[in-house]
Amino acid sequence: MPCLISLIVFGIMGIFSASQRALAKEALDCVFKRVTFRPCNTGFQEKVKGKLLVKVLKRSAFLAKVLNKYYEIFSWIFFILMVGSTIWVFRGVYNFYVYGSCNGLNATGFCAFDPSGANNKVTPLGDGATCGTVQKVEKNVTLKNVDLSSFPTQQVGSKDTVVFIGCYDCDYSRKAYPDILKLVKNKNANYIFAHYPAKGSITDDLANTAYCVSKNYKDKFWDFNSYLFSTDKNYVLDKKNIDTILTKFNFDANQISKINECASSPETKVAVEAQVKELNKTNMYGTPTIFINNKAFVGPKPYRVYRSAINKFIFF
Amino acid sequence: MIDTDKIRSDFKLLNGKNVPVYFDSACMSLKPNCVVEAMNEYYYEFPACTNRSPHKMGQKATKKVEEARKSIAKFINAGSEKEIIFIRNTSEGINLLVNSFNFKKDDIVLITDKEHNSNLVPWLRLKEKTGIILKIIPSHEDGTFNLENFKELVKGAKFVSVVHTSNLDGVTNPVEDIIKIAHQNGALVFLDVAQSIAHQKIDVKKLDIDFLAFSGHKMFGPTGTGVFYGKHKLLEELDPFLVGGDTVLSSTYDSYEMLPSPEKFEAGLQDYAGIIGLGEAVKYLSKIDFRDIEEHEYKINKYITEGLQKFPQIKIIGPADPALRSGIINFYIENTDMHKFAIMLDELSNIAIRSGRHCVHSWFHSKNIYNSARVSIYIYNTEEEAEVFIKSLTKILGIL
Repeated sequence: MPCLISLIVFGIMGIFSASQRALAKEALDCVFKRVTFRPCNTGFQEKVKGKLLVKVLKRSAFLAKVLNKYYEIFSWIFFILMVGSTIWVFRGVYNFYVYGSCNGLNATGFCAFDPSGANNKVTPLGDGATCGTVQKVEKNVTLKNVDLSSFPTQQVGSKDTVVFIGCYDCDYSRKAYPDILKLVKNKNANYIFAHYPAKGSITDDLANTAYCVSKNYKDKFWDFNSYLFSTDKNYVLDKKNIDTILTKFNFDANQISKINECASSPETKVAVEAQVKELNKTNMYGTPTIFINNKAFVGPKPYRVYRSAINKFIFF
Repeated sequence: MIDTDKIRSDFKLLNGKNVPVYFDSACMSLKPNCVVEAMNEYYYEFPACTNRSPHKMGQKATKKVEEARKSIAKFINAGSEKEIIFIRNTSEGINLLVNSFNFKKDDIVLITDKEHNSNLVPWLRLKEKTGIILKIIPSHEDGTFNLENFKELVKGAKFVSVVHTSNLDGVTNPVEDIIKIAHQNGALVFLDVAQSIAHQKIDVKKLDIDFLAFSGHKMFGPTGTGVFYGKHKLLEELDPFLVGGDTVLSSTYDSYEMLPSPEKFEAGLQDYAGIIGLGEAVKYLSKIDFRDIEEHEYKINKYITEGLQKFPQIKIIGPADPALRSGIINFYIENTDMHKFAIMLDELSNIAIRSGRHCVHSWFHSKNIYNSARVSIYIYNTEEEAEVFIKSLTKILGIL
């Protein structure tokens, strides 16, 4: 058993160091002898054991004695730990590739590949929106029983559907938005956009305006929406700039007046509030929350994560 | 008496930081600075061919190589430097003999049961190829030479090829008696003095040795150097098995005229730097009284032997009396791989000893002993080092 462990350990270390490579070669010879039912008489096992014992002996004679006595058992324990940790590492790498986090989809534990946890950062929802929801439990985030028919939709007849729930004022939503657009375009997926005012009323005016544009001018909504996500948020959130922004999308004075009228109407307020209520049924706990074929991705993930979800490159 | 401080100052390795406790001189001795410098001098100042190049550098190289030959001849009291043949090591010397001597089918050759592979395998090969009869002289239980056995076995033998001091247990065979008895029975004697040449005086005339061989690397000399000695008359009778450049006086397309000894045995360009280094090693060794070497080694051997005897699980190979084991203490613990000991001593206290079967596999197989750990002492070792060894071993045994 120590030979096998040594072969794996020195084999990996040997990638970087020639001296370890020589040990790996010795270990291979030893393993080969053992699997062909011959004694490993290369002295390799004793060499490794001797070195280990002395390292421990220099610190504690008692521990060295224990290690010597139970060397085979320790070897097995370390072997099992090594196999376990190797599987864990591969699982972490896989998770990081397909979910953007070593710990799994939307899991926020430490990940060596994403030490700052950027791929899971979300803008927590405001007071009103969190009422009745179970927070930070990804498995509860779902589209089941959620009616998305009132939200702007691009139906292209695809079997894949992407739902983006974001907030104009939220940095993480703004970060994820271009990747979602790219995904939808590259994969030719159906696309539903939903605005969620995660930071409360600061986005109300803009959300109402966007609602009215989407309701009355569907053809201009998507470019308008992209503009809101890609332009400086302080500028777009400033109410006095709304008219100027609308002008950029070739709305004439009359149309702008109608949009503003719509945005400030009680009906729009009710409709937008109804949309938020509907979104709360998803149990979402932050923005952005993206559903790709009903699977929830919370936080701005790398583009490959979204692409993997569409490509079905997810095994567990 | 050996002045170890003075001796140690001659070895770069033994001065400075992280100085090892070197107890592996039976395998390879350390090299004094003068040997390394002599070799460097050749490479830096006159790196030329000998015996053929007429220029000053060639002349100097020839002079230095022949000086080395003379020094060695004097060192072993050979009749003439023409009896000194430069070889790579003892193994090559024995192969030279085995392949050059006119052995015939059913010739009886005697060797001991503790021969190094270099004095066993060539004879086994010769047995396969020529059909000689190879007989093994069994030792006493304690590893000492059984002269009575030998007296019986030597009858009718053509050749006796024995080790002088065994690298296995340090036992020195009674070669004076062996040679006398062999000659009385009409047998020639080859002596493997690889292990003894650096530890005791060898006088080929006094011992009346027919052939002997030793390596440079166990006697302060460079690796890849050695000497084969033969009585001049016997050398003339040997038919060299390796011929070519430097071995002939002249040649035509269908004939050649061989040179006399030693040239006829030294085919091709030699390791001149090594030979010069070996000459320097012999000069260095000649300045030391062999009685002092034996006394020094005995003192340290006794200390270590007594230290080992405190552990009942440790078994020393060979006689219990350190006086009979030269500078060698070879020990083992039953059912234990002694490689581990050697490695642990190295890791724990920077002590270099040898572990394994010491190229005497045949003996280990016959005794059913897996391997052993061998401490071998030389003049640069000190009692303090022996103390460190015993302390470290005690520590290791405490956890095993």
